[in-house]
Amino acid sequence: MFKKLIAESTAKSPWLFHINAGSCNGCDIELVSVLTPRYDAERLGFKLAGSPRHADIVVVTGPVTAQSLPRVLRAISQVPEPRCIVTMGSCPQSGNVFRGSYSVVGPLSKYVHVDVDVAGCAPKPQAVIDGLALATKILKEKREAK
Amino acid sequence: MSIVISALQYLGYILIFPGFLFCFLVGLLLSGIDRKLVAKMQKRVGPPVLQPFYDFFKLCGKETIVPAAASKTVFLMAPLVGLAALVVLQLFIPIFQFTAFSGMADIIVILYLLLIPALAQILGGAASGSPYAGVGLSREMVTIISCELPLVLVLLAVAKTVGSATGEGLSFSFASIAAYQAANGSLILRLSMIPAAIAMLMVIPGETGNHPFDAAEAETEICEGMLAEYSGAPLGIFKLSHAIKMLTLTSLFVALFLGGIGSGIAQLVALMGLTGPAANGLTVLLGAIVTVLLCIVLTVVSISFVHAVTARLKIEQIFKFYWTVVSGLALISLVLAWYGL
Repeated sequence: MFKKLIAESTAKSPWLFHINAGSCNGCDIELVSVLTPRYDAERLGFKLAGSPRHADIVVVTGPVTAQSLPRVLRAISQVPEPRCIVTMGSCPQSGNVFRGSYSVVGPLSKYVHVDVDVAGCAPKPQAVIDGLALATKILKEKREAK
Repeated sequence: MSIVISALQYLGYILIFPGFLFCFLVGLLLSGIDRKLVAKMQKRVGPPVLQPFYDFFKLCGKETIVPAAASKTVFLMAPLVGLAALVVLQLFIPIFQFTAFSGMADIIVILYLLLIPALAQILGGAASGSPYAGVGLSREMVTIISCELPLVLVLLAVAKTVGSATGEGLSFSFASIAAYQAANGSLILRLSMIPAAIAMLMVIPGETGNHPFDAAEAETEICEGMLAEYSGAPLGIFKLSHAIKMLTLTSLFVALFLGGIGSGIAQLVALMGLTGPAANGLTVLLGAIVTVLLCIVLTVVSISFVHAVTARLKIEQIFKFYWTVVSGLALISLVLAWYGL
C-alpha cells in the first residue's frame, strides 16, 4: 500500500529543474510562462526547484554547446532517482539553426537517455504542459519498476 | 496495571493526538491551504489542498544523496532532531485547558524548543558543505535573532498581564494563562494585549521562514539555502518540519491570546449533561477542532495574505523591521500591561 502511495505521489508532485545548454532564451521564457497564472502548471503539482537535488524532471533547452555539455551532464547526475529528462524546443533534438556550428556538440540524446522531446521553436505552453504531463507518467512507471 | 495504562496513554499522546500524527496531518493541511489560497489570490487555480502530502510521500520514495564533502551523521540526523523538537513542542502547547504533559513546561521552555528546529537546519546546512548553505545559514541566524526579541517581549507582556491578576508578578506557566483566560475571557480582548497580538502575528511568518521573511531559504537566489544539498527523505522531513512549525506558532497564538474560547466549549459540554471521562474527551475533541479552525484562520491572515501581497525583503530589512516596528508594538503592550490596563 505504501509503495502504491509513493508511486501515486510521484506522479502528482513533479519538481522541475531547468538547464540552459546554450539556448537563445526563447524556450527559457516559454518555460516560465507555463508557471504564470494564465497556464498555471502548479495545479498539476509542478514547481520550479532551485537545486538539482530537489528535482524530478530536468528540462534542457538549447543546442548543447561544447562549453555547456560537461555542466549539463554533471547537473543531471546530481538529480536523485527516479528522474526524467525532457528536452524543450528543437535545439536539443536536432541543433535547429545552430546545427553544424563548430561549438555545437548536440543532440543531447547522444550523451544521456532522453525521456520526452517537446519540439517547436519555441514550443507553445500547451505543448510544454503536455510534454511535462507525459514525463510525470514516465516518472511513475520508473518508480513502480523499482 | 495503572502504570501500564498511563504509559500507553502517554505513548498515545506522543504518537497520536497532540503528538506526531496530529502534527503531521494538520501541519501539512495548513501548508496545503496556504498554497491553494496564495494561488487563488494570484488568480491561479493552484495545487490541490493535499499537495504537501503528495510532495512528502514522493520525497520519501526518492534516492537520498549524501554529498562527498558532507559530514554524514550530522547531515542525516539534523532533520530528525528538528522534527522531534517540534513534536515535543506541540505536546506542551495547551489546547485550551488540556495539556498532554501539564505542569512540566512553561513559556520559557517553548522559547528554547522553538530554537531547536532552526538550529537543526543550520547544523544540517553547515554539515552539507555547500556554499549556498553557508549563505543561507548566516541569514537564518540573523532571522532567528530578529524574531527572538519581539517574541520574548510578547511573552513577557502576556506573563505580566496574567501575573498581576494572579499576584505572582510574572506568570510563565501555561496552566495559569489558560485558567486566567477561561475565567476572564481571551487576552486579545484587553486593550494592552492588542499590540502584542499584532506583533505576534508578524513574528509567525518570520519564525516559519515564509514570505517576505524567507531570505534564508530564497529558492530563486540561493537554491533554498541550507536545503540546497538535501534530497529524498531528509528533504521531506525538513519540508514537514516547516509545515508543522506553522501549526506550532499559530496554536501558540491561540493558547496565548484566544484561550477564552475554551471556557465556552466546557460550558457547552456541561449543558449537554455529560460527566466524567466522556465529558473530558468531548471537551478535548471539540477544543482540538476549534483550535485547528483558528489555526487555519491565523495561517490565512498572517502567512498566506502576507505572502500574496509582499516581495522578499533583504536580510538587513528583516532585522530592522523586527527590531523597530514589531519590537516597538510588543514594548507598547508590555508598558501598558505594567500599568495594569
